[in-house]
Amino acid sequence: MSVNLEYVFRETASNLRRNLSMASAALLTVAVSLTLVGGALLVKRGVDRATVQWKGNVELSIFMKADAAQAESDAIDRNLKTMPEVKSYRYVSKPEAFEEFKKIFANEPDVRDSLTVDQIPPSYRVVPRQAEQTKTVGQRFEDTAGVFRVSYAKEEVDALVSVTNFLQIMLWGIAVVLLGAASLLILNTIRMAIFARRREVAVMKLVGATNWFIRVPFMLEGLLQGLAGAAMAFGAVWIGRSIVQDRIAGARNDIQLFKQFLVTGADVTGTGVLLLIVGVVVGTVGSALAVSRFLDV
Amino acid sequence: MIRLRNVNKAYKGNVVALRDVSIDIAKQEFVFMVGPTGSGKSTLIRLLIKEDKPDSGRIWVAGKDIGQLSSWKVPLLRRNIGCVFQDFKLLPNKTAYENVAFALEVIGRPAHVIRQQVPQVLDLVGLSKKRDNFPNEMSGGEQQRVSIARAFVNRPLILLADEPTGNLDPSTSVGIMRLLDRINRTGTTVVMATHDSSIVDTMRRRVIELDRGVLVRDQTRGVYGVNA
Repeated sequence: MSVNLEYVFRETASNLRRNLSMASAALLTVAVSLTLVGGALLVKRGVDRATVQWKGNVELSIFMKADAAQAESDAIDRNLKTMPEVKSYRYVSKPEAFEEFKKIFANEPDVRDSLTVDQIPPSYRVVPRQAEQTKTVGQRFEDTAGVFRVSYAKEEVDALVSVTNFLQIMLWGIAVVLLGAASLLILNTIRMAIFARRREVAVMKLVGATNWFIRVPFMLEGLLQGLAGAAMAFGAVWIGRSIVQDRIAGARNDIQLFKQFLVTGADVTGTGVLLLIVGVVVGTVGSALAVSRFLDV
Repeated sequence: MIRLRNVNKAYKGNVVALRDVSIDIAKQEFVFMVGPTGSGKSTLIRLLIKEDKPDSGRIWVAGKDIGQLSSWKVPLLRRNIGCVFQDFKLLPNKTAYENVAFALEVIGRPAHVIRQQVPQVLDLVGLSKKRDNFPNEMSGGEQQRVSIARAFVNRPLILLADEPTGNLDPSTSVGIMRLLDRINRTGTTVVMATHDSSIVDTMRRRVIELDRGVLVRDQTRGVYGVNA
């Protein structure tokens, strides 16, 4: 069968023009839903990345006794230097530790003023080469002279990871539900648009138009709506990410947590392409399904 | 051209529409189908264009058993059958020309064929001057002519008319009948369901009468009522 392309395009254009309000409703529905989906996916990506960083920075702290001798401290320093499992370490002196302590309790003067520099234990912050070696390294120093306590960040990180895992599953769930809602809304909108034109469809069937011939302009219409909606969502997600990123970069904070919550331009592009594909598929398949109901012989 | 063998059709609730109907209609025949409302005339037309399936029995159209026809070939069957209805079924937002052209466009006819054939058929039905009028700017008779033009523009083998004069006054109906007669003489088989006794009595063509789904009369050069 010869396909009259001119007919298909003219028909699609006039459908869109005549059903402008209906077409905009579908388009905005796609845009809003896909923006939310894209946002959820990007937040998930950010959380993923932050989690990886937290996991990579698992460290342990070796707290010295406040009255530990300098020789004891030097021995530990030498030990750390020669251990192959240690990636890096840092000595936090009494004054440094005191500054940190004062910062943490800045809002609680009672606590802040209850200690003096001398009472604060200095410590070694050790980053092992691999997260799994944390315990091995720590145990080595637990009974060493002058050591007050070895504390592992692992427990804290584990708790954090379990929270983010839950967060990720939840975000996925939200994205899937939103996508389902978007699909149903598109299906419904296009079904209403077709219902408004059921007379035309009836005549087309009567004079012997093939089902595909009837379907194609509607599918093209759905495709365009899905594509335009996804493009709007792409734009919204892009702008939203820029705003959030600027805020984080601009904020005068020392909180590594947020600095690590990074979403790159490539992430946004990847998510955007996904949104476009989803928009096109949902729009096209949605209208094909919607029109099929009117094609039953 | 059309052959029915022992066709039965019932709707929900055991409403019998057709009971054991067998009919043969030859090429180029002009056949009136008469009978009271609910006698099965419209059901028969629906079965011929495969808008519905018979419960049993077989139907041939243009030599093909349409019960064997796969669903994707149904459109091809319909291209061989023109349909005219009591309520015209024109598209209100298209002009007379566009309504007729639409029938060719949607079966994928090329533009130059459409430009050539649509004016021709509008001329045949006598509407050349009204080609740019919309349906609501035309009389009932003119609208029915447009719908006949649409049914005939593809030169179908068969023209099915379901009470085409049902909404028209007698003098307008005569014009429509002349048109259908002309189309019949070009070689198109015409089957027309009607309640209009004067038309049937004047034309003196073959008459098939249905009563509650049963074929009760098949008469060449018949009249509307048996006792008329």
